[in-house]
Amino acid sequence: MRALCGARVLSLGVLHMAYVLNRLLSVILTLFLITLVTFAVTNILPGDVAMMIMGTQSNPEALAGLRQSLGLNDPLLVQYGHWVGGMVTGDWGTSLIFKKPIIELLGQKALASAIIVIMSMTIALALAVPLGVWAAVHRDKWQDTVSSSSALMGVSLPDFFWGILMILVFARWLGWFPSSGFVDPSVDFWATLRHAFLPSFALGLGLMAHLTRMTRSTMTGILSQEFIRVARAKGLAERTVIWRYALANAIGPVITIAGLQIGYLFGSIIVMESLFGYTGMGWLTYQALLNRDLPLIQYTVVFIAAVVMLTNLAVDLLYVVIDPRIRLG
Amino acid sequence: MKRRDFLRNTTAVLGSGVFMGASLPSALFAQETPATGGTLIWGHSETTQNLDMHQTGTASSGRVLQNIHSSIVTVDKDLNVIPGLCESFEVAPDGLTYTFKLRAGVKFHNGATMTAADVKYSFERCKDPATGAVNFEVFNNVAAVETPDDLTVVIKMSAVNAPFLSRLAENGAGVVMPVDSGPTQGTNPMGAGPFKFVSYEVGTVVKMARFDDYWEGPSYLDAVEAREITEPTTRLTGLRTGELHMINDIPLDRVGELQADAGLQVKTWFPLNFDFINMNHTFEPFKDKRVRVAFDMIIDKEALMEGALWGQGATTASPSFPTSAAYNQGLKPRAQDIEGAKAMLAEAGYPEGSLNIVFKATTNYPYHIETAQILVEWFKMAGVNLTIEQLTWADWLSQCWVDKDYQMTMMNFFTLWESDFLYFSVWNSTGAFNYRAINDPIIDDLTAKARITVDDAERAKIYQAVQQQIWDEAHDIVLWFRNGTIGAQPAVMGLDTVVHPNGSNLNFHKVWLKA
Repeated sequence: MRALCGARVLSLGVLHMAYVLNRLLSVILTLFLITLVTFAVTNILPGDVAMMIMGTQSNPEALAGLRQSLGLNDPLLVQYGHWVGGMVTGDWGTSLIFKKPIIELLGQKALASAIIVIMSMTIALALAVPLGVWAAVHRDKWQDTVSSSSALMGVSLPDFFWGILMILVFARWLGWFPSSGFVDPSVDFWATLRHAFLPSFALGLGLMAHLTRMTRSTMTGILSQEFIRVARAKGLAERTVIWRYALANAIGPVITIAGLQIGYLFGSIIVMESLFGYTGMGWLTYQALLNRDLPLIQYTVVFIAAVVMLTNLAVDLLYVVIDPRIRLG
Repeated sequence: MKRRDFLRNTTAVLGSGVFMGASLPSALFAQETPATGGTLIWGHSETTQNLDMHQTGTASSGRVLQNIHSSIVTVDKDLNVIPGLCESFEVAPDGLTYTFKLRAGVKFHNGATMTAADVKYSFERCKDPATGAVNFEVFNNVAAVETPDDLTVVIKMSAVNAPFLSRLAENGAGVVMPVDSGPTQGTNPMGAGPFKFVSYEVGTVVKMARFDDYWEGPSYLDAVEAREITEPTTRLTGLRTGELHMINDIPLDRVGELQADAGLQVKTWFPLNFDFINMNHTFEPFKDKRVRVAFDMIIDKEALMEGALWGQGATTASPSFPTSAAYNQGLKPRAQDIEGAKAMLAEAGYPEGSLNIVFKATTNYPYHIETAQILVEWFKMAGVNLTIEQLTWADWLSQCWVDKDYQMTMMNFFTLWESDFLYFSVWNSTGAFNYRAINDPIIDDLTAKARITVDDAERAKIYQAVQQQIWDEAHDIVLWFRNGTIGAQPAVMGLDTVVHPNGSNLNFHKVWLKA
């Protein structure tokens, strides 16, 4: 019997491993396709980085010299080979507009974004789950109305509105948090958190709305199921029934939705970054595009794509851990 | 600022450089003894890019680097060339030899003492096409840079280039860097300026610290932090919450509100830049002078300035620096005359309703879009159908500047106070910035003649004639000088010294923080 169990665990492990490898392979294949599309698209954009560096000081002679020195005159195939080769070997080159190693730039900005993505997700979950549960438990009562209305407001009002409100209340009037900027955590971690709080809170409110609705609807479904009635009939405390039985079963889809948002947030928080002068991945991608800094565009796009795909994969795997009934394949 | 105020002020300050308007606090405390110490937090309106002084062409990087570098010569507030890192300079009567006597004991940030070898290295680096220097053409006529001793630099020219010395007063060409520092200038700029570069976190902050051995004496501030906050409202909020000591480039529509706030200082000055409307001279209708003049007559420059700049500027018919000797005082903007314009267009073969023009404006300057929107209405009244096409900065540079693929557009220029740089580059048929394809033999002759005219008064007269010709022919429609603006906390002292005579660069050497 024990041997049989062991074999089952082993076969499950092999199944998981095969699944993970399969998914990783598809991630690599997709990334390769993304490099092709990105390279093609970036090369047909009008204007080039030499023009952006020189601005209105550019003239044909100086532009030609600068293009040569930046390697923009190499054949496209050579440029593509150079890029993909560099990506694999870790030699990511230098941003043409900022003159900094791309790997260093991406590291700094990805860290900045990761901080507000994680903080906003934490804030969102911390608010959304209790609010969603509260609404589901008091379904169709005033608590439900309050919860649904606040969720609706969160969904309907754009993030930047919350951002402006936060700045006005917490920075301008109360003076509790700085209104803009980013501080490197290695310099002053406390200052990093203080600077990241308002943009995270503003983003978190928007996210919270989605997650509250999700929690409410899954909780409502679970609460009407047989096993909850059985648990209640057994005389378990209502608190235990709701938080240990119902929520444990309802949290899966909420985690999935939250996880999917992480990858998406990484590249899409540009408005919030701009509003709070908080320069992360969204800002970097925008600057790269604006300045036609081709290597930087290519690396930021591929990096964000990789983050989105890998977080999706991680969420799928996490799902199995949370709910063992899920089978991969 | 209204035109009459502008004229009154320019007359008053003619010969006294950039005009500054100050609100009360700094004027009251101007006589106090400066205190040493503190870090000035500056909310910078733009993102700093490449930090290599030779390679950078953007005003944003130049504004920061002004504090890190010094040039061999510089300009005083009247735009006269004066010694910088050199003690004296001499130009041979034939204009072919320049001799610079360097100051002794000038230190670079790395502790090395400046010698003639550093000057030679810097000039040759700028001239070398491999460097990709934006101002390399300044050294086109330089045949040799000789260093007879450690403190003497002799430059031999192959042909006379009258504006050479003035061009060296700009950091982009005249900067002196330590020998062999070129490869690291982009990431670790090093010079002989009042502040040492400390760090740059891209898009976030540039940090600089006082350089105690600065040749003009150490600055009052311990450090300057240039925080990059490109969103104007966020910058303003930072000033209001007290997180920032100072911001540059107050949004035009908010200047009045800040001026009314007794708790803040507002500095305005002109000119930050000038704007002009461009007509592509290869586009059939614009080949006819009458069409260009008629277009000039359609526009009420004063009303346009009030509408698009919220009055933060002064109209002008000449793009010359308003306090320079070359500024043609006799030129006035053409008055609006819609009926006259209609008649002139009809005479040129374009009766009412027959002209459809696309105006390409860049979103990089939001007031350009507003300008275009106001123009549409006046042009409609004159029977011309004007449509606006909005372009990103990259698209504008590509389509209008490089490919000359446009009919009508507008642009502004910073810091072209040096007349040759301005008129030869922008209006000579072979000029590097002649993106309108203007081909006027009179301007070509005048600008070429000015280049070899060593007498300053004589040169100024030639440039006045160039301005007259531009106006007569309506090659472009010069609109206005736009004000520069700074907002600051009352504790920031010495703001009068911040703006470089070029109207764009900011220098914190004499700025201090009141406790």
